[in-house]
Amino acid sequence: MTNEAAAATQPFVMNASFWTATVIFLLAYALIVSEKVHKTVVALFGAALMLVLKILEQKEAFHVEEFGVDWNVIFLLISMMVIINLMKPTGFFEYIAIKSAKLGKGEPMRIMTIFALVTAVLSALLDNVTTVLLLAPVTLLIADALEVDPVPFLIAEALASNIGGTATLIGDPPNIMIASKAKLDFISFIYNLTPAIIVIMAAFLFVLKLIFGKRLRVKPELRQRILEMDEREAIKDPLMLKKSLFVLAIVITGFVLHGMLGYEPATVALFGAGLLLLLSGTHEPHHVLAEVEWPTIFFFMGLFIIIGGVVKVGLIKWMSIEVLALTHGNMFATSMLIMWFSAFASAFVDNIPYVATMNPLIIDMANQIWPHLQGIKLLHNPELMPLWWSLALGACLGGNGTAIGASANVIVVGLAERAGRKITFIRFMAYGMPVMILTVLLSTVYVWLRYYVLKI
Amino acid sequence: MKAKDVMEPITETLSPETTLKEAVNRMKVARRGEGWTGVKGMIVLDDGKLAGIVSIKDILRAIIPSYMRLTELGEFTWDGMLEEMTKKVAGKKVGEVMTRDVITVSEDAPLMECADLMVKHSLQRLPVLDKDKRVVGMVYIRDLYQAIVQALLDKEGE
Repeated sequence: MTNEAAAATQPFVMNASFWTATVIFLLAYALIVSEKVHKTVVALFGAALMLVLKILEQKEAFHVEEFGVDWNVIFLLISMMVIINLMKPTGFFEYIAIKSAKLGKGEPMRIMTIFALVTAVLSALLDNVTTVLLLAPVTLLIADALEVDPVPFLIAEALASNIGGTATLIGDPPNIMIASKAKLDFISFIYNLTPAIIVIMAAFLFVLKLIFGKRLRVKPELRQRILEMDEREAIKDPLMLKKSLFVLAIVITGFVLHGMLGYEPATVALFGAGLLLLLSGTHEPHHVLAEVEWPTIFFFMGLFIIIGGVVKVGLIKWMSIEVLALTHGNMFATSMLIMWFSAFASAFVDNIPYVATMNPLIIDMANQIWPHLQGIKLLHNPELMPLWWSLALGACLGGNGTAIGASANVIVVGLAERAGRKITFIRFMAYGMPVMILTVLLSTVYVWLRYYVLKI
Repeated sequence: MKAKDVMEPITETLSPETTLKEAVNRMKVARRGEGWTGVKGMIVLDDGKLAGIVSIKDILRAIIPSYMRLTELGEFTWDGMLEEMTKKVAGKKVGEVMTRDVITVSEDAPLMECADLMVKHSLQRLPVLDKDKRVVGMVYIRDLYQAIVQALLDKEGE
C-alpha cells in the first residue's frame, strides 16, 4: 500500500491541536531523557496540559481505552506490588538466595550461574526491580564471604533479570502494556516468548562461563563460610510465608487460566492482593500500600494520557504511515525494524514511554493494512502477531544495552556504588551491549524461523 | 542552670581529613577529667567551624556493609567478618563517616532543652555553641544526670 493511499483511507489534519499535542509529547520525551525533571513530574504535567489545552477531554483520558489511562496495566502493577510488599518481610527471597549459594557449593562460577537462573525465573514471575533489589544484597554478602569482586555477579543478575522478565506477560512492564493493548493472554506470551527466552538464557549462561569461568577462583576455607550458612534462619514469618505462597500459587494459576476464564490479568492480580491482605490479618495496611511505587504508577498514568493526546490528533498514525513507507509494507522487514529499533531505543530511553508509543503505532499500522478488520480480528491477525513479539523482545532485551536501559540495571549500579564498587557507564555497557546484541540476534533468528519460515 | 553551667571543655577535636584509624586512636588516648582516658565521641572541626560529630555508632555504621542495611542478613555473617570489614574501612576519612547534621544547643539553653533533645534524638552528647557558632563545650548525658541527682538530693536534705 502506498503512502498516499494509506493516508487517504483515514485522513487527519495537521492543525493547531496536532502541533500542540506533538510539542507536548516531544518536550515530555526530551525532558524524560534529559533527567532534568523527574519523569513522573513530567508525565503528570504533560498529561495535565493535554487536558487543560483541550487536546483530550477528561472523560477520554479517564474512561476511554483508546486515548486514556490503561487501568488494566495500573491495577496489575499495583496489585503485584502489594503482594510482593506483603511477601518481602517473610524472608522468602533471602532464603532462596542463601539456598542458591549453598547449592553452588560456594564455588563462584556455579553460584553466578544459579543466581542468574534464579533471577531470571523470579523476574519472569515477579517484577525485575523487586527481584534484583532482594537478591543483590545477598549477592554482595556472598561476594564478601568469598572475597571476590561482586560486580560481575551484580551485572549478570541485572542482565538475567531483563532476559527472564521478557518470558512472560507479567515479567516486564513492556509486556504488561503490550498484552493489555493487543489483548494477548498469559498463555500466548508463554507459548511465543518463553521458548525464545529459554534459548537466549542458555546462550547467556554459556557466555557468562566463557567470560568469568577462569577468573573466579576461591580458597576452600572461604567456601566453608557459605556452606555453614543456614538458609532456614532467613524465614522470619513462616505462617505468613505459607499464606503468601498459597496466594502466589493462586495468582499464577489464575494468570495461566485467565484467557480461558475470561478474566483480565489485573482481575487475577487484584484478587491475589486483596486475598493476601485479608489473610495477613493486618489492621494497618498503610505501609504495605505506602510502599507501592507510586511514582512509577503515576508515571504510567500521565504517560498514557500524553500518548492518548498524540493518538487522538493523528501524530501516531502519521508515524505509522512513515514506518510502513520505509518497509514498503513488508511485514518481515517491519517486524525486524521494530525489534532492532526497539532494542537500541530501549537501551538509552526508558522502555515504558517507548512501548506506550509503539503500541498504538502498531495498531494504526494494522488499521492501514487491513482497513476492513476490527477488534480481535485486527489485533490478532496472524501477520500482525510477529510484530507484537518483536516489540516485546526488542524493548525488553534492549534494556540490557546500557546501565540506564532498565530499572534493574539502575538499581544494581546504585547498590554497587553504595557498597564502594562503582560500575561506570562504560563498564556496564562492555558487558550489556554485547549481551543485548547477542540476545536480539537470537531473537531475530527465532522470529524469522518461527513466524516466517516454519509459520507455527 | 544553663548549658554553659554544666558543660565540659573541649580538649581535642578531629578534622574531616583524619583517617578512621587515626580517629580511633585519638579517641582512645584522649583524656577527659581526672584519671579518665578514652572518649566515645568527638567533634569534627573544619576551619574552626563545627563540621560534624563522630561517635562509636558512626564508626560501627561505617564498618557494617551498606547491603546489610537493606535486608535482614545478620544470621548469615561469619566469625571474623567484623574485623575484616574494619580493616577495609581503616583508611576512610572522618568526613565520610561522621554525622553531619549535628544537634547543638546555645550556651544559654536551659537544661530542660538539653534533656529534651537528648531523649528525642537518642544522643549522648550535645556540642554547645556561642553566639558566633563556635563550639565552646559539650554537655554530656551524665552532666544532666548530675544536675538531676543534685536537685533530688538537695530537696531531700531540706
